[in-house]
Amino acid sequence: MTPTQRAAATRTFLGLGTEPDKAAAARGAPLFAQNCAFCHGEKARGATGPSLITSDVVLGDDHGERLVPFLRKGIPEKGMPAFATIPEQQLTDIVEFLHLQVEDVANRGAYHVLNILVGNAVKGKAYVENHCMVCHTAERLAHFASKYSSPEQLQRNWIWPARDEALTADVKTAGGTVSGTVTQISDFRISLVTESGETKTFDRGPGVAVQIHDRLEAHEQIVMTLGNDDMHDVTAYLETLK
Amino acid sequence: MKLLAGLCMAVVAMAVAGTSLHAPVVSLDPDLIGKAPVTNWTTFNGDYTGQRYSTLTQIDATNLNRLSLQWVYRISNVGAQRGAPVPIIKCTPLEVNGVLYMTIPDHAWAINARTGSPLWHYDWVDHGGHLIGQRGVAIWKSTVFFQTPDNWLIALDANTGKEVWKKNYADARKQYFSTAAPLIVMNHLIVGVGGDAMDMPGFLDSFDPATGDLQWTWWSTPRKGDPALKTWPNETASEHGGGMTWMPGTYDPALNLLYWPTGNTNPVFAGQGRPGANLWTESIVALDLDTGKLKWYFQVSPHDTHDFDNTTAPILFDREVDGKPEKLLAQAARNGFFVTLDRVTGTHLVVKPYVPLDYSSGLSPNGEPIPIPDKDPSVGGSINIVNATNWPAPSYSPKTGLMYVNSVEGKAIYYLTDDSDKPSGYGGTGVGIGRQVRVLQAIDPLKGDAVWKHAYPNVNGAPSTVGASILATASNLLISGDDQKNVIVFRADNGQILWHHELNANESGGIVTYLLDGKQYIVFGAGDSLYAWSLGK
Repeated sequence: MTPTQRAAATRTFLGLGTEPDKAAAARGAPLFAQNCAFCHGEKARGATGPSLITSDVVLGDDHGERLVPFLRKGIPEKGMPAFATIPEQQLTDIVEFLHLQVEDVANRGAYHVLNILVGNAVKGKAYVENHCMVCHTAERLAHFASKYSSPEQLQRNWIWPARDEALTADVKTAGGTVSGTVTQISDFRISLVTESGETKTFDRGPGVAVQIHDRLEAHEQIVMTLGNDDMHDVTAYLETLK
Repeated sequence: MKLLAGLCMAVVAMAVAGTSLHAPVVSLDPDLIGKAPVTNWTTFNGDYTGQRYSTLTQIDATNLNRLSLQWVYRISNVGAQRGAPVPIIKCTPLEVNGVLYMTIPDHAWAINARTGSPLWHYDWVDHGGHLIGQRGVAIWKSTVFFQTPDNWLIALDANTGKEVWKKNYADARKQYFSTAAPLIVMNHLIVGVGGDAMDMPGFLDSFDPATGDLQWTWWSTPRKGDPALKTWPNETASEHGGGMTWMPGTYDPALNLLYWPTGNTNPVFAGQGRPGANLWTESIVALDLDTGKLKWYFQVSPHDTHDFDNTTAPILFDREVDGKPEKLLAQAARNGFFVTLDRVTGTHLVVKPYVPLDYSSGLSPNGEPIPIPDKDPSVGGSINIVNATNWPAPSYSPKTGLMYVNSVEGKAIYYLTDDSDKPSGYGGTGVGIGRQVRVLQAIDPLKGDAVWKHAYPNVNGAPSTVGASILATASNLLISGDDQKNVIVFRADNGQILWHHELNANESGGIVTYLLDGKQYIVFGAGDSLYAWSLGK
């Protein structure tokens, strides 16, 4: 799913109403900065004047049908001037800019992480040498960062390299022991794929003993104990291994 | 013009399928509402305690092998809804005089409890709102009350499904949406609301069930002049501070107090614009039934920054403590703490983690967990627990003295996506990391320790928001389910698995039980189907 698709799907899921016109909003941005931002803040979240993104008038409007007439009149008695001389098209552009500010807040499917590379790579290198080389080799880590499309993907994967074949099991029955990679397990059934590629399913009950092994046990320990500074430092270091 | 408007209304909200001639007639004596469920299940939790405990013993460990499916009602007349490709029943059905009332967002059904055939279907066309779930209806005399995604409270004739009155109580344009089941207590219809996309304040309304007239409103955050404002940087932050009343609360008739859980603070993950404890979000509040005035509060997650949405049921029970009878309340909170309070005063007896967590440096003098600031979401990411449980109902058995909760043990990296000094909305995001294991726990509420635990094996991580509810019975049964479509019956005292059955979907709503024609039924929704079980030959 592309970021645009994800944002659209979340918009639908949350029932957020009509979508702002992004081209109009881009035209509206300098107009808002020039005419409105002084009182309402550059992102319309309030300054000396109130925040507009939670305003009834803004949230009650789709594409200017309520807001444009409002902007023409203003509320002079409360210090909100009338914008009677700004052309209709420009007022509509300002309105779309406002709706985009709302969208940026309300549509969490459109959120993106900021620059997460906040750690110290030198300290991260020391952490890796002290903690990771028990199991991994330097060759394994060379070019590590080139496998991931973003630092947050890298961060998530070095801590938790999720993979389908992480759990293995030995299933002991009267007929012998079968070992393999677990494809699913519940209280009542276990399915595994043996080394020869055969799928075996057992109903769990008396006479069926299941022993599970987790290849990611060391990483589960990391998940449970890792401090934020160590996480940031290691990510900063691994990101240098392109 | 008037005629046209009336016609539109009829099309918009059409009650389909008339009542059959032989259908049972529903008229519920208001004095029976909230009493221990035997032949009826009259409220979301069955009674006012929230225990989800049944005194029925017809079904027990010796005859579970005869438990058989009596009927299934599958929703076949509702297609994909916004964001939901297939309907999922997340309600607790009510049962009165042989009629079951079931909901999904925008839809309510009356179903013949003897046969599983529909008696009527009410179809609402919404104008906005988030269709994530619908917890069920309330019932009073011959009226059923239903909340829609766009915040309409609709009174329906319980026997025909026709509208009696309707009322809009929140603006969907402000991203308020409703999933709640209303709660009837005496002549009060208590209605909660949801919606945390846009920094709006939560509230609880009380309406007259006969007319729909508003009796009182309690706001989840303080207003001008209230001393609790000192837990917010300013009035504007408080007025946009969230604290939704997503889930039904409980009620003590002797104290005339409602106990309501309040949801997450807004902005959700970005707390830098709202230094302070942020009352009364993330709390258990005790409100006077007649006035809606706050009697006491206990804030389970002061200054929440992890969507620890405190919505799980505050369960009421009476126990002896140090030889003295005490009126208590316990909650397995989503922030991972188990809390037992004196429900007269709100003072704490137990506040203790029930999942592994390391984000708290201790308890305040009031017993409230103190969060460690370094565990807050940050730009580079911060590891903390996932929600330790969620809305699926917990249970308490007076027989075992244990509280039962389906919990999730696991972690996530929380990122701050808005590091400005005026964040808004969610302002951050969380990504699960490591194994997320679902664990059924039986907790001694006087100690806060698990007496037994059952980890549900799964190669996949547990989804935190979809999970089985729990029902306990006097015959030492505990009914719940895993996330691999199995409904499971455990021994309540020791967690031994006694019975299971694989369904077509995970158990997804509340589990109810009642006696009908002398037969004990167990009824619950799983995916798009409602299942009714009782003992076969």
